[in-house]
Parts: sequence; C-alpha cells; structure tokens
Amino acid sequence: MNEQENTKAESRREFLGKAMLAALGTAFLAGQVEAKASEAAPKEDFEVPEGDEHLIRMQRELKEALKKPAKERRWVMVIDLRKCVGCHACTISCIAENKLPPGVVYRPVIEEEVGSYPNVSMRFLPRPCMQCDNPPCTPVCPVHATWKDEEDGIVHIDYNKCIGCRYCITACPYGARSFDFGENYSDQTPKTSEYEEAPSFDWGKKWERKNGDSPIGNARKCHFCIHRVKEGMLPACTTTCIGHATYFGDANNPKSLVAELIGKPNVMVLKEELGTHPRVYYLV
Amino acid sequence: MKDSPAKTGTPRGLKFFYYLFLGILSIFGAVVIVQRLVIGMKVTALSSTIAWGMWVAFYIYFIGLSAGSFLLSTLIYVFGMKRLEKVGRMALVSALFALFGGLGFIWMDLGHPWRFWRIFYNWNYTSVLAWESLFYVFYILVIMGELWFLMREDFSRLSQEKTGGLGWLYRVLAFGVQTPSAEEEEKKLHQNSMKWVRILGIVGIPLAIGVHGGTGAIFAVVGARPYWFSGLFPIIFLVSALVSGAALMTFLYAFFGQRDEDHPSIVQEMAKLMVLFIFIDLLLLFAEYLVGWYSGIPTHAKIYHIIMFGPFPYTFWLGQVLMGMLIPILLALLPFTRKNVYFLGLAGLSAVIGIVAVRLNLVIPAYILPVLKGLDTAYYDKRWTYSYFPSYMEWATSIGLIAIVVLLFSVACEILPLFPWKTKEN
Repeated sequence: MNEQENTKAESRREFLGKAMLAALGTAFLAGQVEAKASEAAPKEDFEVPEGDEHLIRMQRELKEALKKPAKERRWVMVIDLRKCVGCHACTISCIAENKLPPGVVYRPVIEEEVGSYPNVSMRFLPRPCMQCDNPPCTPVCPVHATWKDEEDGIVHIDYNKCIGCRYCITACPYGARSFDFGENYSDQTPKTSEYEEAPSFDWGKKWERKNGDSPIGNARKCHFCIHRVKEGMLPACTTTCIGHATYFGDANNPKSLVAELIGKPNVMVLKEELGTHPRVYYLV
Repeated sequence: MKDSPAKTGTPRGLKFFYYLFLGILSIFGAVVIVQRLVIGMKVTALSSTIAWGMWVAFYIYFIGLSAGSFLLSTLIYVFGMKRLEKVGRMALVSALFALFGGLGFIWMDLGHPWRFWRIFYNWNYTSVLAWESLFYVFYILVIMGELWFLMREDFSRLSQEKTGGLGWLYRVLAFGVQTPSAEEEEKKLHQNSMKWVRILGIVGIPLAIGVHGGTGAIFAVVGARPYWFSGLFPIIFLVSALVSGAALMTFLYAFFGQRDEDHPSIVQEMAKLMVLFIFIDLLLLFAEYLVGWYSGIPTHAKIYHIIMFGPFPYTFWLGQVLMGMLIPILLALLPFTRKNVYFLGLAGLSAVIGIVAVRLNLVIPAYILPVLKGLDTAYYDKRWTYSYFPSYMEWATSIGLIAIVVLLFSVACEILPLFPWKTKEN
C-alpha cells in the first residue's frame, strides 16, 4: 500500500516536471506558430514521451486521432468536478490563448457553496462551450454564420459573416456565447498593451482586433482550441488544469482516456432534458 | 372640382414650434446615431449576458405599432367597416413609418450594421429572424402598393392643381395615372383602385400577422428562456400590437383627424376597439402570468416576481398597468370622458406610451436570471453583469431615432392626401 502510494507520488512529481516542460514547450511552440504565421512552417513532429500520465496519454491519443480521417474523430471534453479546485487557471489560460477582451470569456468557472456549517464545501463547475450535437444556437442564426461542423464536430462561428444580432447568445441554454464589444483592458490608459494588440487564432484563422473589424461586434465562444488541436496540441484549458480535472480527446477511440471516463455511471451532462447532446461531460 | 379637403385646425405658430423641436431633435439623433456607428457597440450598457436591451424593445414596439395600424386598416378595406374609412389612409401611413422605425432600431442594434444585406444573401431558413426580415420586405411592398392604389386618383388631381416641386412630386407619385374627366370612367377607376386595395389588404393580413406574431416567435422559440418559451407569446405580441395600433389611431385621429360631423363618432369607435383589444390583452397576460407563476419553477416564476417587484417595478405598475391599461380603459368608459374626443385621444396617447413599458418587459427580464445557477458570479466584468439600465447613448439614439421617424411621418402626413378627395358615397 505504502509502496504504491510512494510510486504514485513519485510519478506525480515526475509528471509535474514533465508538465512544466510540456507547458513551456507549448508556450514556445505557440510563440513559434505566431512568429511564423505567415510562412508555411514545416510542422514539427514532436516525440510524445512514454508513460501513462494523463497529459502524456491524452497527447499521444491526440496524435493517433489526428491520423484518422476527420469524420471518424469525436472530440469530447470531460471535466471531473471532484478534482476541480476552483483555481480558474483554465479561464485565465483560455483568455491568454485567445486574447479575449473584456466581457468575452469562453470558460468561466461557476462557484457554488454546498451545505451549511460544519458540513460545508465548495463545488466548482467550469463551463466551456458544450459543442452540442443538437445545438440550439445554430438554427437561429439568420445568416448561416454559425453551424455544427460536419468535419470536426465543433460548433463554428464565421466572424466575417456574423452580423452581430446576438440571437445565438440569447438562444444558448448554457450562456456559452459572449459578445465582443470592442473594448480593451487597457482602455483609458495611455497605451494599449501589446498583448491586446496581438492577433488571436480562433477557428484557425488570424484575427486582429482593430478598427471595429471582426471579431469586434461578433458573438464569440469556445472552440475547443481547434487551432491547437489541429496542430497536435491539447486545448489550453486542458494543459493548464492543475488538478487534472479536464480531459480532452477522441471518444470514438474506445481505448482513449476520455472514452474510458465517460463510460461510467457517474457521468452527466448539463441540462440533458433539453436534448442538446453536449460534448462536454462532467464526472460527479 | 370641389374644394380641397378641410385642413386640420392646428395654428401656424404651434406647427412651426413643433417642426423646430422635431428638427432639432432629429439632427441631434442623426449625430448620435453616427457616433454609435463609428464607436461601435461599446456605447451601450448591454453585456454578454444581457444581450438585448432597449433598442430591441423599441424594435418590437414599432413593429407592433405598424402591424396594429395595418390590421386596423384591413378592418376598413377588407372587412368593410365603412364607418372608419376616414382613418384608413392614416393607419397605413403610420404602419409604413412605424415599420421604418422598427427596422431602424434593429439595424442600429446589429454589431455589424453594414452587413445587414447578408440576411438576404446568406438567408437561413431555420432562423425566425431571417423569415421575419423577408416578411418585413414584402410587408413594406404591400403597404406601399395599397397606399398607392388608395391615393393614385388624388395624386393625379393634385399634380394638376399644384405647381412647382410639389406638383412634380405628385406627378411622379401618380405614375402616369390620370383621372378621367368622364364621371362614368372616374367611377370605374375608383372601383378598380378599391379592388386592388382589397386584394393587397387580404394579402397583407397574413403578412401583418406574420410580421408581428413572427416577431413574437423570434422570442418564443428560444427554449433556453422559459419566460418567452410559450405558445401564447406570439399571440400576446399580436394582441398588444392591435392595442398599440388602435391606440395610436385614436390619438392621431382625435387630434389631427378630419374635423367634420363624423369626427367624434370615429374617435369613439376607435377608442372602443382599443378597449376591446386591451381586455383581450389583459386576459392573455393573466393566463401567461398565472401559468408561469403557479408552477413555482424558479426560472419561470421568478421572472414575474422580478417584473412586478424587481429593480424596475414602475415599468410594470406605472407603464404597463396604469398607462397601458387603466388610464385608457377609464377614459374610454367613464361617462364624463367617453364622449370627449380629447380625453379619448389622451387615452390613446397613454396606451401608446404604456406599450413601451410592455415591450421593455417582454425583452429584458428574460435575461435577468442566469441560464445556469451561479453563472452571474462566475466571472467579474462590466460586460458580464445581470443588471441593465440603458446607457446615455442608448437613450439619446432612441429619442433621436423616434424624433426622425415622427418628423418623417409628420411631413408625409402633410404631403400625402391623407383624407379622400371627397367622401364617396356607396
């Protein structure tokens, strides 16, 4: 028993080191991608280390999934509410990854107090876009600017088509869509900070928030970091989750970690009664 | 020919100040609307959570006024309510300009106003909003067609009578129609006109129902918002549209209608219609509130609580109930006011203003409760709030746009032959 614990602790320590490296590596890679956005940089085929740590395993499975035809993959996210400590690292990393302005947040974490003293605890519920298989937000769009993509299964938005009517924001039962009002955190300060001028890569396209151009004036939402996933990287929220509470992968691979996790009775989805068939599963 | 129709008895000085006031407000409105277009949506007090606010409320308000006025005109031209015939043209003209107002508001509300053409270019048949946009276009065409057939004989007469710019305008508006000199043929032309008015009116009925019932459906189909998600919602939109249409016509005809022996009876008739519609509206509202409240399901029941006792109870009690219902009903029914056209006109005005509160309460409360429990405190940002009060720019642009619409409507009423050349028998 003790020995087992020890090995567990060991592997955890080992993992933390790896995770740090991975995080640094991703940050570096992200920087690289940005720097070379214009050139068609040759994709670096990085080695995924051996081991069964969650991140390593998901990383390996992600690479395997990418080898399959796109339609045979089913990206899902699994969030273990028992492990979430409410650190909001996912919220922040998402904001950093997508350079989100004020009012736009793809993945807030809902905090709730449960019970009364002395039996009291906190419950945390991260809320990304559910990427519903039957999304209520897409049919209401008057201009076909948002749709359930047949290829990657993500609910997409074409910022260049979106007229900003905000009907989809109204129609989402999860409040997963937000509106870009065109504000900056550094408004009313002498200088716009550099990070706010940096382009974002929502939907794998380069977006510069300038002069009221898209994505300003558009509905925006979480896209499972599909721009990262396409390059073999896990979503930013998944890699930054300190409690190992967020998982991402291809549920069509029966051997994958996510498939393993959602095949248990303690799995649930939000507002199941609406028939939206979310692709974000919660473990309780 | 006969004398031109009796002009309304507004003193010249008063009219000058009226136009001066509206003109100044309109210029101010144009300036702030341009400001809104240049600066973007950050001028609003909206947030990612309260996505639709005062502009959308005014959008459905004006669409409602339009549909209500139009349906009232069909009572005359399709269902043959001859007693109200003198109101018909005014009702159609206000239907047209109210629609322009509504479209102006929703256009201003878009995050990318200059992409509005995409609604027709990338038209999505599953979107109620897309269907509505089509409805609005056909609806405008029907109103314009109907107005033209109603007025073409008068245009042709006026083009002969007036000189200069106005004469030229009437000639253009007449589209080459010339009133025959022979009485027999004149009658024939008139009958032909009225036939077309009737046909367009019949086409217009489902369109107008689609225009406002459909606007209600934009909200009603949203399953995520239990407050809207009911089959009664589009019907409430329609009935409150009829209320606002009848109220607007009562007000306009009482103060600016044709002063002849029919004037009091027409105003009284309109006021009666208005009261009838208010009672139906009250019934529907009662049904909706009762069903929503009785279950006690928080996402539904709490919203009624918020409307009645929440942050803006005056919108409900003073706007919706007092001005929109009680005052008009009392003025139209009390023995010492119901015969007086001015009191009835004021009853109409009161309802017209009260309906604004109805519209505000149809849109905004649905956003006050977070769709997921705790989402309101999950993130702190001024664009992630669950309270809303319109910003200065929202007020300014709304007042400005309303002034522009009222100004255009007033000018149109001055120019267009609002009352038939001569009251035709039969």
